[in-house]
Amino acid sequence: MSTLAFRMRARRRGGRTRPAWRQPLAVAGGVIAVAWLLVAIFAPFIAPYDPLAQTFVAAQSPSSAHLFGTDELGRDVLSRVIYGARVSVPIALLLVSLAALIGGLVGALAGYFRGIVDGLSMRVVDLFFAFPAIILAMVVAAVLGRGLRNAALAIVVVAWPAYARVVRGLVLSVGDTEYVESARLLGASARRTLFRDVLPNVAGPVFVLATLDLASAILLLAGLSFLGLGAQPPQAEWGSMVADGAQYFQWWWIGTFPGLAIFTAVLAFNFLGDSLRDFFDPQTSWGGDER
Amino acid sequence: MNDNAPLNGDGPALELQDVEVVYERRGRERLRAVAGASLTVERGQIVGLVGESGCGKSSLARASVGLVPTTAGTVQFEGREVTPLTRRARPRELARLQMVFQNPYSSLNPRRKIGSQLTDALDVLGLVPSADRRGRVEELLDLVGLPASAAVRYPHQFSGGQRQRIAVARALAADPSVLVLDEPLASLDASAQAQVANLLVDLSRRLSLSLLLISHDLAIVRHVADVVSVMYLGVMVETGPARSLWSLPLHPYTEALIGAVPHPDGSGFLPEALPGEVPDPAHPPAACRFHPRCPYAFDRCSAEDPVTLAIEGDRTVACWLQAGGGPPARPAERPKSLPLLHVKE
Amino acid sequence: MEVEGLRVRLPTPRGFATVVDGIDYDVEPAQVFGVAGESGSGKTMSMLALLGLLPAGAIVEGRAAFGGQDLLRLKGNDLRAVSGRDIGMVFQDPMTSLHPMLTIGQQLTEHMRRHLGLSRRAADDRAAELLDQVRIPGPRSALHAYPHQFSGGMRQRIAIAIALACGPRLLIADEPTTALDVTVQAGILRLLDRLRRERDLSVVLITHDLAVMSSIADRISIFYAGQVVESGRRDELLRHPRHPYTRALLDALPHPEAARDTPLVAIKGAPPSPQQIPDGCRYHPRCPYAIEICTTDDPPLVPVGGRRLACHVDPFRHE
Repeated sequence: MSTLAFRMRARRRGGRTRPAWRQPLAVAGGVIAVAWLLVAIFAPFIAPYDPLAQTFVAAQSPSSAHLFGTDELGRDVLSRVIYGARVSVPIALLLVSLAALIGGLVGALAGYFRGIVDGLSMRVVDLFFAFPAIILAMVVAAVLGRGLRNAALAIVVVAWPAYARVVRGLVLSVGDTEYVESARLLGASARRTLFRDVLPNVAGPVFVLATLDLASAILLLAGLSFLGLGAQPPQAEWGSMVADGAQYFQWWWIGTFPGLAIFTAVLAFNFLGDSLRDFFDPQTSWGGDER
Repeated sequence: MNDNAPLNGDGPALELQDVEVVYERRGRERLRAVAGASLTVERGQIVGLVGESGCGKSSLARASVGLVPTTAGTVQFEGREVTPLTRRARPRELARLQMVFQNPYSSLNPRRKIGSQLTDALDVLGLVPSADRRGRVEELLDLVGLPASAAVRYPHQFSGGQRQRIAVARALAADPSVLVLDEPLASLDASAQAQVANLLVDLSRRLSLSLLLISHDLAIVRHVADVVSVMYLGVMVETGPARSLWSLPLHPYTEALIGAVPHPDGSGFLPEALPGEVPDPAHPPAACRFHPRCPYAFDRCSAEDPVTLAIEGDRTVACWLQAGGGPPARPAERPKSLPLLHVKE
Repeated sequence: MEVEGLRVRLPTPRGFATVVDGIDYDVEPAQVFGVAGESGSGKTMSMLALLGLLPAGAIVEGRAAFGGQDLLRLKGNDLRAVSGRDIGMVFQDPMTSLHPMLTIGQQLTEHMRRHLGLSRRAADDRAAELLDQVRIPGPRSALHAYPHQFSGGMRQRIAIAIALACGPRLLIADEPTTALDVTVQAGILRLLDRLRRERDLSVVLITHDLAVMSSIADRISIFYAGQVVESGRRDELLRHPRHPYTRALLDALPHPEAARDTPLVAIKGAPPSPQQIPDGCRYHPRCPYAIEICTTDDPPLVPVGGRRLACHVDPFRHE
């Protein structure tokens, strides 16, 4: 009864009350995320120069000809940052999709079959969770050898367990809800309810997790490259550019701009994920509307 | 052969005998939620099952439709055994045994329009060809007093009472002969309760539908049910026609339950409270489960588990006080063969 | 306590909604005052207003005289001093109204030490005594137990003990028994009745359940859509309801003497939301006795034969 006040505020929209300060951030996040995506797609058309061309005067501070300056080998930093988006953003998208697919499959099977299948797969997931993400990624990448492809693999290895956990949890909880039980009583097989009732309700939270994971993936990829395990020179990648910049600290523009790129992209996907979480909440005000 | 004709002719629509439901809990001891309960629902009858928290009535309800397995006893629907659900589809013969749940907010899929959910129900049941499904959905909505336009809306656009009616409509899609309802009125306000209760009685009379209505609200059950069964801590303590059970309770717990119901008549009647608390179902008292709280308990009650006795007037009771035979009488009026252990305060 | 002209408006995305619209009532010492109504009638909001527990941005008008002060004019620490010490509140859900991580003793003594300045020892003694008064078995050891170790009924008793910790003169109970089994509810009602008599305590009992109201209330006010529609002594009001809404509420309850298969009488329609209050009498769209004037003029709450009634028609006055 005393929650009536809070419910009333949300009643018209039928959704949760969202703090007023969150909305503009969500929009900003979305805009920036899309912007980076477009930059990644249209890089060849946007970048003023060839990212690998070492033809310019080395270590020039930002100027009208080179908005972000040039690095120690005479390459245009702006172009490299733009092309870096091509590496980070689409690869992160791919990796997250892959992790979601693999993890989701494992989770769905665990939740559906329960019993031994569940127990076994969750112990495997636990194993992966025992390690901090960056450490695990480093180990995998180091074992497989340097290179962007191996770093990508490492990230998938690190990311899939979370999806398995989330999907399994959802399959179990949704599977126990009364509308699924009703469907079973009417004669639907477990498989039918899995596809018609359970999985559609699972898709939303997985999507939210994936969006937030994008941010982590970008960061992880940059981190691995920073450590020398990911993208190899002369490829333009934000993480390795920051590593370069750390070496040549006096020429601040070499590391700062790629760093800012990482920062804005990660933040943007975080905000986007947060707002998606609100959006995917069931439209009804659960269990409190009338009583 | 007529698919709808029950296998057991005039026999009971739903029969539970000595049913036990046990839950194994990880890290804790097993819980015997239902410890040997029997219940019968005749054709077209409305049976009310009452009891307070922890009595096992929800577990019994779920066992009666096969949502949870029984560890002992039998559950028969029109003479056929009710098998618990596995991953496979439920046997077709059991489709006419349906259930309506307590919470109208969680019993409907929030992301699908209700018309689509009802159509899906018809699809699963396979009783109606797809061309005719839309018409049948309208019929079902009409049966529960909702307009056809409701089909395009989502659950959150309806009130609790309306959602409950939609849940009933979905159960009716199976053309059921028995409907088990687990606290269908508990989450509703008084007006919605009245509406849904009226609907259930009306459907029962019109469609010759048997109802097993589980509720903690004695007043409504008394009004709606033909027969009432009272449950305490996993066992059935008394059963009988609603009127006679109310006017002449035979089991001390039934008497206490009735005495605890407040009256809205302005008289200032203060309801009677039962001493003590409901014991943990995992550790029930020895012999008669009610004896520690019973004002009339005597030696036999803590020594021997009462058997279910048949009393005239279609009544049964599980209490040693009633073992003396003779016409039905209140617990206070029954002579005891042995001295009292507990004195009523 | 004397409440006069209480009006509460809450901010919504579409401007303010008036959820309590001009409420007056008096609560006498050692009296149980019942506030009855369906959800959305404003009964809970009116109480939250008195205790300063409304959400931010709420606008409150009117006067609430209590112990020589106007509760609605007090702010912050002053209000807390009064509301913490002289008014106790018990909420509906015993599962969530106690802090799960603190022991019962801590929750009881926290208030006492703050408002009464008692020492640890004295507070513990008093806490144990309170638990005994609410009939918690083994009160001393209960002090060291946590809420999850108790059943719903016991938790509600503990909540009552906490509300009484500082010896308040007024106890506000919002649906205290709705979530409880009927035998447990009976125990709580008896407890409230006993406490009222032993401690000279006034109780404001908020509930939609008229049967519960009938058990312990002395006077009852019926709330509808933010207003009082009828108010009077319990026996008169429930035996001879005069407002159509009161009558309808009583009719909706199952009658012990009803013949077989008599349908329950449901009130058609639903209470209006605060954004869509009907013109004239708020109840008129659902009222079978409404006449022309009911659609245009809001009936005032006037004294009528020992009670107060807000109705143009007064259809049952002859009963």
